[in-house]
Amino acid sequence: MINLLITIFAPVLGGFVFGIERIIKARMQSRIGPPVLQPFYDFFKLMDKRAYIIHSLHALMGIMYFIAEWFTLAVLLLGNDLLIAVFFHVIAVLALVIGASSVRSPYSVLGGLRELMHMISYEPLMVLMAVSFYLITGSFDIKTILSFNGYPIFQMPLVFFAFLLVIPMMLQKSPFDIAEAHQEIIGGPEIEYSGPFYEAVYTGKWIEYIYVFTFVFLFGGNHYWLGILLVIFTFIFVNLLDNSTARLDYRKMVKFSWFVLIPLAVLNIILIAMWR
Amino acid sequence: MKLNKFRKKSPWILHYNTGGCNGCDIEILASLAPKYDIERFGALNKGNPKQADILLVTGPVTKRCKDVLRRLYLQMPEPKVVVAMGACGHGGGVFRNFYHVENGVDNIIPVDVWIPGCAPRPEALIDGIVEAIEILQTKSKEKEYIRNHNEIIDKLGAKDD
Ligand code: SF4
Repeated sequence: MINLLITIFAPVLGGFVFGIERIIKARMQSRIGPPVLQPFYDFFKLMDKRAYIIHSLHALMGIMYFIAEWFTLAVLLLGNDLLIAVFFHVIAVLALVIGASSVRSPYSVLGGLRELMHMISYEPLMVLMAVSFYLITGSFDIKTILSFNGYPIFQMPLVFFAFLLVIPMMLQKSPFDIAEAHQEIIGGPEIEYSGPFYEAVYTGKWIEYIYVFTFVFLFGGNHYWLGILLVIFTFIFVNLLDNSTARLDYRKMVKFSWFVLIPLAVLNIILIAMWR
Repeated sequence: MKLNKFRKKSPWILHYNTGGCNGCDIEILASLAPKYDIERFGALNKGNPKQADILLVTGPVTKRCKDVLRRLYLQMPEPKVVVAMGACGHGGGVFRNFYHVENGVDNIIPVDVWIPGCAPRPEALIDGIVEAIEILQTKSKEKEYIRNHNEIIDKLGAKDD
């Protein structure tokens, strides 16, 4: 029941998370920051702009991104394979990339290519994470994982650590906000969207927050208090990292992911498999 | 539900310097910093014309900038407001009647709000933004054209339009 509610109200929930994040960011820079409802004000304002598109495929891909993100979350929360959710997430990001590469703006094309770099850095780790959940709980099903009597976090600490450092890549935070580097390529894939179509991309990002934090919550097993603590810790950690680091090169991101994070996750999986 | 009351809650700013001395730009950055913090009112410095509501122009519009300025204006989706900041943007300021300047923003695109001063203080800037938001709320989302656009295109010599 609560899964269904979270799925339906995912954009609203994600908007709140985003609003709180903007306040935290402002407080870290000793500013006061916008009100919590600011993302929704932006949302309604963007709805009221003139619809202004480059060509129809581009606009469609913006909306496709939003729908595919929401669908991914539905697949994840309404009791299906973790793996299928991970693959649907690939489709969502691909929609964004196709849209970004279909216009003539070089910033947009560059952003699309960098988004692909993001994808090859984090998607293998998502699959490895799903596999390690399978090894521990014996199922890819979210219901089984959430009723697993144990502490997945203590059996796969390295996977959790790797995932913690992969979240900035998924949510476009520094030091890995390479695809939408606001100072160099002004938003990357989203640069050519405007008005209602930008709104679709903007809201898709909020849903991505919920998608990521659901995975973090799974690390608590059936100890929901632990899951909530982990979500809060991750949220604060990611924001701290975002506000205190500078942007890296995309090569460094891919190298870091493939030479440090993925071997760590694989090591953890090998240990779990030997232990059983 | 009337959506245009949300316009005042999230004015996104596109700032463009058309060749001023950077004094005005420093004041704009100061208004984003902790002391004035215009993000309290939802204002963001967007840097992307397609997602902005307020075009904040400083500087006297030099030869190199004038076509870019016109394009930035045309790329912003309606409703939009143009704010000219500083003496340069009004009539050229210290650069008036130089061989390479256009003597103010109003010679290229229509301006809605003028912020006087050289450089204006951040308070004056915030006041001007508030004024711009009031104008923004009364505008419709029909397509707006630059008045005598063809003459301006002739003057700029823009070919590939
Ligand atoms: S108005 Fe004054 S401070 Fe502003 S750009 Fe012009 S000369 Fe510089």
